[in-house]
Amino acid sequence: MSGTPAVQSVAGRGPGDPGYWPPVSRRRKIGNLAFWGVCLIALALVVVPTVWLAGGILARAIPNFHWNVLWTKTTGGLSGGLLQPIVGTLVITIAAMVIGGGISVLTGLYLSEFAVGRHRGVLRGAYEVLAGIPSIVLGFVGYIALCVDLKMGFGLLPAVLVISVLTIPYITKSTETSLAQVPTGYREGAEALGIPTSWAMRRIVLKSAVPGMITGFLVAAAIAIGETAPLIYTAYFSDQFPSAQHITHQGVPYLTYVVFYFSPFEQPSKTANILSYDAALVLFVFVLVLILLGRTVAAIARRNSE
Amino acid sequence: MAKKIRLAYTAAALIPLSVLAAACGSSSPSPTSSNSSTPAAAAMMGAALPTSPAKTPETVTETGSTLLYPLMGSWSEAYQKAFPVSSTSSSPLVTIETGGTGSGTGISDAAAGTVDIGASDAYLSSSDMTTYPSLMNIALAISAQQFNYNLPTVKTPLKLDGTVVAEMYTGKITKWNDPAIAALNPGVSLPDITVVPLHRADGSGDTFLFTSYLNAQDPGAWPTANVGTTISWPSVSGALAEEGNGGMVTGCAATKGCIAYIGISYESKTQAAGLGQAELKNGAGQFEAPTSATISAEASALTSKTPASETLSMIDANASGGYPIVNYEYAIVSKKQTNGTVAEDMRAFLYWTVHTGQSATDYLSAVNFEPLPASVVTLTDNQIAKIGS
Amino acid sequence: MAAIARPGGPDGGAGTSLPRRAGAALRSAVRRGDILRWVGGIGAVIPLLALGFILVALLIDAIPAIRLNGLHFFYKSAWSYGGGYNANIVSTDGVKHLSGSDFGVLPEIAGTLITSAIALIVGVPISIGAALAIVERLPRRLANGIGIFLELLAGIPSVIIGLWGLVTFGPFIADHITPVISRNMPDVPVLNYFRGPTGSGEGLLTSGLILAIMIIPIVAATSRDLIRQVPILPREGAIALGMSDAQTARKVTLPWVGSGIVGAVVLGLGRALGETMAVAMVCGVALTTVPGNIYTTMTTISATIVTQLDGAFTDGSGFAVRTIAELALVLMVISLVVNVAARLLVRKVSGTALPVGRGV
Repeated sequence: MSGTPAVQSVAGRGPGDPGYWPPVSRRRKIGNLAFWGVCLIALALVVVPTVWLAGGILARAIPNFHWNVLWTKTTGGLSGGLLQPIVGTLVITIAAMVIGGGISVLTGLYLSEFAVGRHRGVLRGAYEVLAGIPSIVLGFVGYIALCVDLKMGFGLLPAVLVISVLTIPYITKSTETSLAQVPTGYREGAEALGIPTSWAMRRIVLKSAVPGMITGFLVAAAIAIGETAPLIYTAYFSDQFPSAQHITHQGVPYLTYVVFYFSPFEQPSKTANILSYDAALVLFVFVLVLILLGRTVAAIARRNSE
Repeated sequence: MAKKIRLAYTAAALIPLSVLAAACGSSSPSPTSSNSSTPAAAAMMGAALPTSPAKTPETVTETGSTLLYPLMGSWSEAYQKAFPVSSTSSSPLVTIETGGTGSGTGISDAAAGTVDIGASDAYLSSSDMTTYPSLMNIALAISAQQFNYNLPTVKTPLKLDGTVVAEMYTGKITKWNDPAIAALNPGVSLPDITVVPLHRADGSGDTFLFTSYLNAQDPGAWPTANVGTTISWPSVSGALAEEGNGGMVTGCAATKGCIAYIGISYESKTQAAGLGQAELKNGAGQFEAPTSATISAEASALTSKTPASETLSMIDANASGGYPIVNYEYAIVSKKQTNGTVAEDMRAFLYWTVHTGQSATDYLSAVNFEPLPASVVTLTDNQIAKIGS
Repeated sequence: MAAIARPGGPDGGAGTSLPRRAGAALRSAVRRGDILRWVGGIGAVIPLLALGFILVALLIDAIPAIRLNGLHFFYKSAWSYGGGYNANIVSTDGVKHLSGSDFGVLPEIAGTLITSAIALIVGVPISIGAALAIVERLPRRLANGIGIFLELLAGIPSVIIGLWGLVTFGPFIADHITPVISRNMPDVPVLNYFRGPTGSGEGLLTSGLILAIMIIPIVAATSRDLIRQVPILPREGAIALGMSDAQTARKVTLPWVGSGIVGAVVLGLGRALGETMAVAMVCGVALTTVPGNIYTTMTTISATIVTQLDGAFTDGSGFAVRTIAELALVLMVISLVVNVAARLLVRKVSGTALPVGRGV
C-alpha cells in the first residue's frame, strides 16, 4: 500500500537533476522493476501449482461424478458410493477434535494462565516437540504399540488417539496464543470487581480467545481429514460404518484410503478408480469448507472487536 | 484335544439345522445347492464343515492383499446377502469386513490376531512358519502373472525365458536387440532400444512370483537368495521402482524399452496402455501366453504336487501347454481361534468361497482369477476344517 | 449467577453426600479457579506423557536392531531381509534375524536431507518473494484472495499431491524440462549433477520440487503475516533516505522479520523431513541408491518406512520390523534436533511462528 506512492516519489526525483542523476534513476528503476518482477514471478509460482493441482482434481473427478456417491454405500469393496468412508472420516475427525481438542484446550489454558517458570518451559517444550514428530512415526508407533502390543487391533481407538496426538500441538498453540493476547486488563478488571476466577475465566478470558481457538481447531481438522500414513496401520479400512463395535478390533473406513488404494495404482477396476477421484474431490471440498469457515470466524471476530 | 472334539460335535449338530435354515430362506441363493461335494469331503475328513454361519450375529474381519481385495469384497457382499439374520431381514447374520493394503499386513495381522483372515498372494515364508506355527495357508483361487514390455514397433508377442529376463534385471542384457533375445524370436525385428527393468517399490507377492520364476528357470542367473517379496535388486542403470501393479502399468507405458511383471488382474489395463505381453517359456520348453486355458493347464498339472499345507508356488511345471507363472491366492488363518463362534463363521465363509464362490462368471473373471481344481478344493476343505478354538 | 452454579453442578451432586465443610471447600476452590488449575494441569501433562510413550515404544522395538545393525547401519547402502523367502531364522548376539539379513540406511538419510535441502532452496525464495508481492504489491482484496490459494495448498491432503506429482507433474518435468537442463548443463563440478539420463519423472528432483510446493504455503503465509506486522515508520524512513522500495524491502523489511522467517523455514523443513505419502509416490523408492545425479530415483526415511513395512511383516524373525523401528527413531531424532535447534534460535520471536501445516 505504501509501495505505490514510493515508486512515484523515487521516479519523480530522477529527471530533476541533469547529467549524473538520470542513469542512477534508470538503474534504480530497472532494479526496482526487476525486484518486484521476481517477486511477482514467485507469486505466480505459488498460484500456478495450486491451480494446476485443483484443476487436476476437478478434471479427473467431475466427468464421472454423480451426486449419489455422497449417499450411496460402497459395495463389494470397489463400487457404489463413498458413504462409509465419508462417515468414517467425519467420525475420526470429530472424535480427534473432542479428545485431542479437549486435552489441547486444557493444556493451552494451563500454560497461559497458571503455569510459570521451568514447569511451563517443560510442558510447552513437550507439545512443541510433539509437533516435530513426523506423522509416519506416529502411525508406526500407533501400530506396534497400540494395535499389536496393547492388543487393540485396528479400530477407532488407536486411529483417534494417533490423530489426536497429531493435532494437539496446533490446537494447544492457538489456544495459548489467543489466551495470551487477551489483555491483562480484562483479568484485572474482573479481579477488581470481585468476580470469581473460574467465572471470569470462562465468561471473559475464554470468550475473547474463542475465535483464535476455533482457527486452531479448523487447522487441526484439516490435518485430521487429510492424513493417510498414520491411519493405514491404525484404522486400516473396512467397508462397514463405524460403530461402537469398531472402537477396537475392527477397521474403520476413511477417504484418504480410498484416494490411494482405489487409485489406478492399486486397483485395476474402473469403478474403483472413479471412486478414488471422487474421494479426492470430496476431500478437496472439505478443505475448502474449513478454509471458508476459518475466514468467516475471523471476519466475525474482527467485526466484534471493532 | 477335548475342545476340538467338542467343536466337531457342535459343528456336526449344526449341519442339519443349517440345511433347514437354508431351505427355509429359499429366497436367497442357497449355498447347499451347489455343494454336492459337502458330505463326501466332510466324511473324508471325519470332521464337519458348516455350510452356514453360526446363529448369533458376528463379524469376521479380513485384511491383506490388494489383488484379492476386490474378490473378497464381492464374496463378502454376496455372502452377507445369502445369510440374513432372518428371512424377513436384509441385515446379514455374519458381517465380513474387508480391507486391503498388502499381503504382509494380512499375514502379520492374522498372526497377531488383530484380524481373523489375512489375504496373501504368497504363502507363508519359512521364517513366518517357524515363528507362527498355528498359521495355515488356505488356497482360495488361482492367479497368474504376465510379463509386459513397451516396444511399439514389435507387434507379435515376444518369446522370453527366465535366463534372458534375469539378465535384463541384472544388467547383462542392455538392449532389446541383444542376440539372446533375438535367438528366442527368430524373424522378429527387434529395435535398438535400451532395456529399462521395472520392479516393485513396495514389498509384494508379485515380486516373489517373478523372482521364483527366474530362479526356477536359471538358478545360475538368479540365485535363491534373491527370491522374496522384497529383495535387494541388482543395481542396473536406469532401472525403476514402481508402487503397486498400477504403478508398473503407468510406469511401463511412460517408458519405452521397459519390461515389467504385472498381476493378471491388470490385463485390461496393460492392453489399454498398449503394452506387449510376453509368451513365457515353461518347464516343457514351450512358449505360452497367459490365457484361461494355459493357466488352468498349469494349475491342474501341479495339483498332484500340492502338499496338504498347500504351500506351493506353481512355477515352471513341465505341463504341456501350461503358462509358467501361476499361483494360489491364500487366506492366512490361525488354527487356534479364541472365539468359537467366530471360528465357526470363518469355516463357513471360507468353505462358501471355495464352493459357491468359485463361480467364474459371478466372481472370479472380474479379476481374471481361475477357479481351484476339484482336488485342491478338497485340500482347502481339509485346511478349513482345522480352524478351531 | 446460574453460571457460577453450573461448574459446581456435578461437584455439588457429590457435595451433598460429603460433609458440609468439604462441599464448601470445593465451592471455594471452584471460585478460586483451583479446579481449573488442576484439570488444566492434568491436561497439560498429557502431551509430555504422549512424547514419552512414543519414545519408549520406539526404543523397546528398536533396541535389538540398534545392537545388531551397529554403526555401519548409518554409512552403508543395503536393504536385505535375508537370504530369500526360505531363509532360516538365526540368532546373533541373542538377536533373532534371517540368515543373510543386511541393512544400511545411508540412502535413506542422504535422500531425506537432500530432498529437504532442495525443497528449501527452491521453496524459501519463492515463498518470501510471493509474501513480499502479496503485502507490498497487491490490493488488499486480491491479497486476501491469494491467501485462499495458500490455505488451499496447505490443506490439500498429501496423498492427493502425491498422485498429482506421479501422474501429472513428474511426467511433465521429465518430458519438457529436465531433458533441456540435462543437455545444456556444463560438465563442471556441482553443475554436472544436473547432467545425465533424466529418467521418467520419478526421483530426486521431482521429490524435492513436490516438497517445495508443500512447504511454500507454510513459509509464505507466515512470512506474509510477519511482513504485514513490520511498522510503517522504519520503512518510511528508508524511503525518505532515498531508498527505492525494492531496497527498502531488502534492507529494512526482510531483516526486520528475519528471525521470524527462520522460524517459518524451520517449520517448513519439519514438514519436508517427515512428509511421507507424496514423496513415497514420486521418489521411485530406490532403497540402495545414493542419488548420483539430480534425476535418479532415490528414497527417504519416511518413504522407506511406509513402502517397506508391509514386506517387513513377512520376515518371521521380526528383525525387519525392528529395523524399521530404528529407522523411525533416526527420523524422529533428525526432526527433533532440527525442531529444538530452531526453537532455541527463534526463542525471542516465539509465538509469531504459528505452525500451519505438516506432512501426512
